[in-house]
Amino acid sequence: MEKITFRLNHNDVEVQVERNWTLLYVLREILNLTSVKPGCHTGDCGACKVIIEGEAVNSCLVRAVNVQGKSIETVEGLSLNGKLHPLQQAFIDCGAVQCGYCTPGMLMSAKALLDKNPSPTEEEIKEAIGNNYCRCTGYYKIVEAIRQAAEMMREVKGE
Amino acid sequence: MKDYAVIGKRVPIHDAALKVTGQYKFTDDLKLPGMLYAQVLFSPVPHARIKSIDTSAAEALPGVRAVATYKNSPRVKYNSTTRLYTQKWIENECIFDDTVRFVGDRVAAVAADTLEIAKKAVRLIKVEYEELPYYTDPLEAMAEDAYPIHGDSNIAGKIYQNAGDVEKGFAEADYIFEDTYTTPAVHHGAIETHSAIAHFDARGKLTVISANQNTFGTRVVLSRIFGLPLSRIRVINPGMGGAFGGKLEVTIEPIVAQLARMTGRPVKLTYNRRETMISTRTRHAAIITLKTGVKKDGTIVAQDFKVITNTGAYAGSAMNVVGAMSGKVYKVYKIPNLRFTGYPVYTNTPCAGAMRGYGSPQAFFAQQCQLQKIAKALNMDFAELQLKNMVDPDGVDQRTGKPIGNPRPKDCLRRALELQKNWEPLSDEGGKYSIGVGMALGCHGSSTFDAHLDQACIMIKMNEDSSCIMFTGTHEMGQAAITAQLQVVSEVLKLPLDMIDVVCGDTDLCGWNVGDFSSRGIYVTLYAVEKAAEAAKAALLRVAAIMLEEDVSSLELSESHVYSKVNGKKVERYRVMDYAQQVLNEDIICTANHHATMAPGSYGVHIARVRIENSTGKVEVTDYIAVQDVGKVINRLGAEGQIEGSVHMGIGYALCEKLEFDAMGKAKNSSFRKYKMLQAAEMPRLQIDFIEEYEPTGPFGAKSKAECAVVAVAPAVINAICNALDMEIKDLPYEYNRK
Repeated sequence: MEKITFRLNHNDVEVQVERNWTLLYVLREILNLTSVKPGCHTGDCGACKVIIEGEAVNSCLVRAVNVQGKSIETVEGLSLNGKLHPLQQAFIDCGAVQCGYCTPGMLMSAKALLDKNPSPTEEEIKEAIGNNYCRCTGYYKIVEAIRQAAEMMREVKGE
Repeated sequence: MKDYAVIGKRVPIHDAALKVTGQYKFTDDLKLPGMLYAQVLFSPVPHARIKSIDTSAAEALPGVRAVATYKNSPRVKYNSTTRLYTQKWIENECIFDDTVRFVGDRVAAVAADTLEIAKKAVRLIKVEYEELPYYTDPLEAMAEDAYPIHGDSNIAGKIYQNAGDVEKGFAEADYIFEDTYTTPAVHHGAIETHSAIAHFDARGKLTVISANQNTFGTRVVLSRIFGLPLSRIRVINPGMGGAFGGKLEVTIEPIVAQLARMTGRPVKLTYNRRETMISTRTRHAAIITLKTGVKKDGTIVAQDFKVITNTGAYAGSAMNVVGAMSGKVYKVYKIPNLRFTGYPVYTNTPCAGAMRGYGSPQAFFAQQCQLQKIAKALNMDFAELQLKNMVDPDGVDQRTGKPIGNPRPKDCLRRALELQKNWEPLSDEGGKYSIGVGMALGCHGSSTFDAHLDQACIMIKMNEDSSCIMFTGTHEMGQAAITAQLQVVSEVLKLPLDMIDVVCGDTDLCGWNVGDFSSRGIYVTLYAVEKAAEAAKAALLRVAAIMLEEDVSSLELSESHVYSKVNGKKVERYRVMDYAQQVLNEDIICTANHHATMAPGSYGVHIARVRIENSTGKVEVTDYIAVQDVGKVINRLGAEGQIEGSVHMGIGYALCEKLEFDAMGKAKNSSFRKYKMLQAAEMPRLQIDFIEEYEPTGPFGAKSKAECAVVAVAPAVINAICNALDMEIKDLPYEYNRK
């Protein structure tokens, strides 16, 4: 076991981990952040995506010891003071949520995109979620939700 | 058409806020105090008797609490897709057997303090196998002298259906076409893998929390295995991360139940992707030989389906899927002479089971591709051939002469052709691409009526403020069936949606419900909801009639009041509830049952446009039209979502999805790395529309949609490719096979 500290959803955390533990395992099983979903354990479905230092990453492929000192976001940190993030609201309103299992990973990919690119094209949105599988929606309403959220966020900023 | 407040509107799925915040808890998200973790040992050989099994080293490992094998587990044979208590389908599967029948069959399971220990322990189990003859190809397995995987033959059964006289029909035909088509086993691809938690408490009560679409049927199977009354089994579905039929059948529930019984502690088992792909269920691979006789003018006079499905190592849905397939082909065309002969065949490959469409995708792929070929041969427009033969709204099942609902395939086709006019021209960029357009008709039923009882019981419990809780046996998996049910309660009781909540998917709390499959959620369960809501309304009006001293027939509900339509007298709804409680000393709880009395067909006509890069052969579906005959749309947002997901699954079926096995039946692509589903950028521009012509036997005129929508996709795409390249394609999936 070794001790690591990192920034998780705006708070510092400290946790004892084995060297071979994945970040997915630590977030779900040790820290109980169950928004982070296992889907394949091979980095191919995107259900376990979290944001590490601004990049959406499959947490099943990251060793927990390697996030020492880094900043990590999960869906649990997306809404602030009970108010949904525009992406969360748009996912609800657009019907982008069906079974909901891919939703947290999709939200993470989408947020990492909009944080860097507030006005993405449709192609850029599809590329950003290109490593996220969804079996329910055909992605249509997810792409639309991300577009709408981007629009909402730009309006709030007064652009 | 009647104007509704919430029916037909765009309503987000009721639990969306939980799902976007991570608060929604799927089975694997749950932990119970003292919970153990399970792992399963799978067979590495396709067919063998277990000569010896030594679990001593596993049992000696610190932290291991139980090791279950055929030696210490009930050997009760069951059918994994059982629904009714008295139902006896072919039963040849048990938790663990002394014989393994495919690579990936269950050999043993371990419960341990941690997952790591359980994994280590599984590797310490030593098994000696005495190998038996094995078959991966159903054609070899069904040979008379083949070594039987069960009983005395590998043919699980025969399904035979007939209308008219096929031989006479062929004699009258001007042309006869005969082709053989094949479809592969595919993976459901729900992003949540299979997961279950079981606990056996000191009273002898077994509670199973499971991602399962058939909680009441699973309860029956568990009662047979463990010899328990149904009062001592509770099956809870906490919601599923997609299912698509893959979670219909009993798979891992008996394993966790047995480990929980052995340890007295809660046990969780979650399959990983590979285990889910191999050791749960797949869609039946099929070989379909189709013979069709037509007149010169395109009239189909006879059609003969001969179907062989690979049902894998155990019976499960062997008979049901082929049975369902056999019924659907009688709902689409006015073919006077139509015969269907189907054989589900055991092989030493993973079990096939229910999957979205339940037999229809295979049958309609063959039929729609051959019909396009026939239209070409007759030099006839395919749409014209379709319209000449499609059933009309007064159409009947040719076998029985009985109505099949209000079938509208012709309306679907005409609407699809109109929508095609919206397409922008697509350039071949100077011969770089070949472009083709293809059409197909798909059909599916509504409810299990054709096979067995289809029934649901709904309970509505009114609160003191006149808000209410609905208790429904519906299983939530993203299909938004519960959202539709809440809409109906809202519509009938004139309550805003936030005044209604739901308890669902729990065999102890909810009224009996067949399960969520067979496209029955809207057609059957929603009708029971409507009846229960009407009963609750009647109860409210009855109490108000006493208070207002008015005749009950003169009263009506508004959002806040019960009022008289005659003289305007009114009373607040919460006062009615208060009167019921304090004066009449009554709680208002209403239940209602509904059972299907037929299984009307739902239809879809789809048109696909493909662009194929000539240098590489790479296929891209650029444009897509899906028009579905659904009777009435209850939730437009949800309905669109079902069609969109179907298009995704169907294009994958057409182009790239296939579970492939080596000579020993070992899967070659049991991971998402190797098994490819479509990504966002691969989806076509899509137009969706609905034909809403009212199904008289459905709630608010609605019938099924979510399975039907997948049926036409693969043949539409394949027909487009055939047209683009002027070739015939008889084997799915096109892109995968090409490589």
